[in-house]
Amino acid sequence: MKRLVAIVEDEPAIRENYAAAFAREGYAVRTFANRLEAMAAFAVRLPELAVIDISLQDEPEGGFELCRQLRALSQELPIIFLTARDSELDAVSGLRLGADDFLTKDLSLPHLIARVNALFRRVEALRRPNVPTDVLRRGPLTLDTERMQAQWDGHVVLLSLTEFWIVHALARHPGHVRNRQQLMDAASVVLDDNTITSQVKRIRRKFQAIDANFDALQTVYGMGYRWVE
Amino acid sequence: MSLRLKLLLLGLATLVLPWGGCRYAREMESALRDGEVESLRGVSQTVAASLQGRTDLLYRQAPPRPPAAGAESGADAPPASGTDKPTDPDDFVRGPYDLEPMTLSAAPLLDGYAADWPGDAGDGLSFGRDEKHKFSIRTGVRERMLYVLLNVHDEHPVFDAGGNNTLTTATFGDRVWLGFEDARGEQQRVLLTASGPGPIIARRIVTGEYGQRSVVLEPRIRGGWQPGGDGYRVEARVPLSMLGGGFGVLVDDRDVRGGAPVSYGTLRSDDLHTMGRLILASPELEGYLTQFLQAGTKLTVTTPAGRPLAHADALGQSANLGSGPPLLARLYRRFVDRPGERQVIQARAPIYDRDHRVVIGELEVTQTADRWIRLRDRALTRMLNLTLFTSLVVVTAMLTFAAWLALRLSRLRRASESALTRSGLVTSFPETQARDELGDVARSFATLLSRLDEYTQYLRTLAGKLAHEIRTPLTIVRSSLDNLESEQVSPAARAYLDRARQGSERLGAILLAMGAASRVEESIGGAERLRFDLVAVLASAVAAYRGAFADRTFLFESAAGALTLEGSPDLIVQMLDKLIDNAVDFSPTGSAITVRLRAEADATIIEVDNPGPPLPPHIEGRLFESLWQSRAGTDRRPHFGLGLYIVRLIAAFHGGEATAANLPDGGGARIAVRLPR
Repeated sequence: MKRLVAIVEDEPAIRENYAAAFAREGYAVRTFANRLEAMAAFAVRLPELAVIDISLQDEPEGGFELCRQLRALSQELPIIFLTARDSELDAVSGLRLGADDFLTKDLSLPHLIARVNALFRRVEALRRPNVPTDVLRRGPLTLDTERMQAQWDGHVVLLSLTEFWIVHALARHPGHVRNRQQLMDAASVVLDDNTITSQVKRIRRKFQAIDANFDALQTVYGMGYRWVE
Repeated sequence: MSLRLKLLLLGLATLVLPWGGCRYAREMESALRDGEVESLRGVSQTVAASLQGRTDLLYRQAPPRPPAAGAESGADAPPASGTDKPTDPDDFVRGPYDLEPMTLSAAPLLDGYAADWPGDAGDGLSFGRDEKHKFSIRTGVRERMLYVLLNVHDEHPVFDAGGNNTLTTATFGDRVWLGFEDARGEQQRVLLTASGPGPIIARRIVTGEYGQRSVVLEPRIRGGWQPGGDGYRVEARVPLSMLGGGFGVLVDDRDVRGGAPVSYGTLRSDDLHTMGRLILASPELEGYLTQFLQAGTKLTVTTPAGRPLAHADALGQSANLGSGPPLLARLYRRFVDRPGERQVIQARAPIYDRDHRVVIGELEVTQTADRWIRLRDRALTRMLNLTLFTSLVVVTAMLTFAAWLALRLSRLRRASESALTRSGLVTSFPETQARDELGDVARSFATLLSRLDEYTQYLRTLAGKLAHEIRTPLTIVRSSLDNLESEQVSPAARAYLDRARQGSERLGAILLAMGAASRVEESIGGAERLRFDLVAVLASAVAAYRGAFADRTFLFESAAGALTLEGSPDLIVQMLDKLIDNAVDFSPTGSAITVRLRAEADATIIEVDNPGPPLPPHIEGRLFESLWQSRAGTDRRPHFGLGLYIVRLIAAFHGGEATAANLPDGGGARIAVRLPR
């Protein structure tokens, strides 16, 4: 049975393009132009993944509201924000509402599909009994690439998909400097330098919330970042 | 011409007040003078009226009678009471034998020489029988003495023979008789002789009880005899106390000693009776005048002809009882006094006889200018003090006002200049609270600047907004292209697809660049401050640039091994990125870019030097503005003039500022960021 992906996007051309891409990948796609339409359908049947734009027709923050309502219906449902807005504030708000990823529309369709696939893999991995199969360990850091989950000293660090891939790219070769372009490629995103900088800061803050002395993610000024064991 | 100078000149225009004051003082002075003259005229008329008919007071003697009326005169005019009688007006016309002694300023030496007499030898009255027998006589009064100078024309002057027997005719030479009326009215005769040049001998003829005549020496009369001119001169002095009214001179001219004389003169030659008189004031006149005398005045009585008879003088006595005029008044006087102006006023009044028909004399009252000058000075001083003080106050007020105005204007100018160059939001523009026109200007300026600021703000955010708005259609293009990749595309169409993709990529890059400034502003808003080593951060960054820009050489100079700065290292590096971007863009390939870190007492300075063209003139301030660029050519990378604006934002975040200058050798530019510690 095909997995059902819901796309909530008020721009018809984009909506149809995304729908076409997902359909081509073998997903069942339902598209909605506004929040009320989407919620009415979700009340009947939940999709297995939702791609949401933030501003929906006459509601500039409609996507956030939709995310909150959707999260109330299901804790596990993967939610991706896909928006033209790229401000730091929006990204933080979206992720705090429980979205799994916050992407800008610069992202190419193949990259988007890859992310959706990865999120489905994670959902599957989480459903299976807890048998870690592909695990990367770097000191206190444990990266479960199957479930896309990070742990520090045994505590789960809730990272978005982009953040997980950045940590993964750095921790795979500790001590090696990864420049911003390399990190963008690893996370399959197109971001500018400032966004990468704030992504890294956000990652650091999440680790520091668990361990105040966290210092493994270092900045090499002018070059990039490295993971230090 | 500055505002200050203009207002000063305007203030100086009030000096017309003291000028007008001076003019007014002059007017007042002449009015005062007129008034004084008027009152002086009154005084002189009063005094003259009191003298009306007082011939006895005016003149020394009863009016002489013509010889024909001699007997009548003797009966009518006893010395004590004669003047009370009405007098014949004709008497006051000077008779032919009358002598009017002049007032001498110095007593002549009684030596027989005329040199010490005022005036020429030709002055004086001439008497005589014919061309060969004549003399001229000059008379003068000095200190109650009558001086007589005779200039006798004599072709054969003969001195008396010496000896005591003066009545022996054989010894007689040229002789001079003085005949006069004494104080009691009796006729006296005095004989002047000289036996050689030198002092004369005066002898009075005394008539004895029985009519016999004798001669006595008269020591009160002295004189000198000197041959000279066309004859000889006799100079004699007679005390006025001896004299009454009549006076005459008779010359006995002898051509040989002891010969018969030729007598001529102003005495009757038979009995030597006086025919003329001495016109002299009576001794009481001066005392009479003195009672009218006031300080600073002078009273003079003259004959109708104008010859002074007597005077009472107190001109020298200053009527001013206080000290002299104050210094200021003396200074002011210079502006008012006309040079050469008389400082005295005079008034004349005729003295009439009893019947008010004939002028018997004239009274002249002279008064010094002291009184009205003092009045004028007082008024002038007050007025000038007042007007000058007014001028001073006005000028001072104008200067103060000008200074205040200039201060306000310069404050306004500074504020508007700094508002334009720094392009920061002007929070408190000066003078906007003022209610005057300057306040209006300031308010207009403030409005203008805030409009400008809004406009700049709008421009600054425009790029970000535009980037956002374009993102959606770009997404449509991109996702459509992505979908097209999955379709069957002919090789010919593939090329177009690739080009479309390239175009959309470039569009994406442009969008990123356009949004850069707003993203930096956003990250500045959320930046954390921490203490870090600036040297290590810059060294690391410069090392990275060596890899990124292989066709440039990078030099890093640091004054210190470590420099702690509080701020955001990420932002500092981002700022350095922009500086290096800028330096690379403006430097030729293969050149060396220098990053220099200097430490000053209170600041750390990061300098980036790049060889290349110098900065265009007059752009120092604008260089760091948003959306401003001076790039001449075009390259493939999009530029929106945001690079150095980001530098300024980050420098401002650290409390510093960025400046641009040409390198000292002119071979490039230097951008310096000054960060305070």
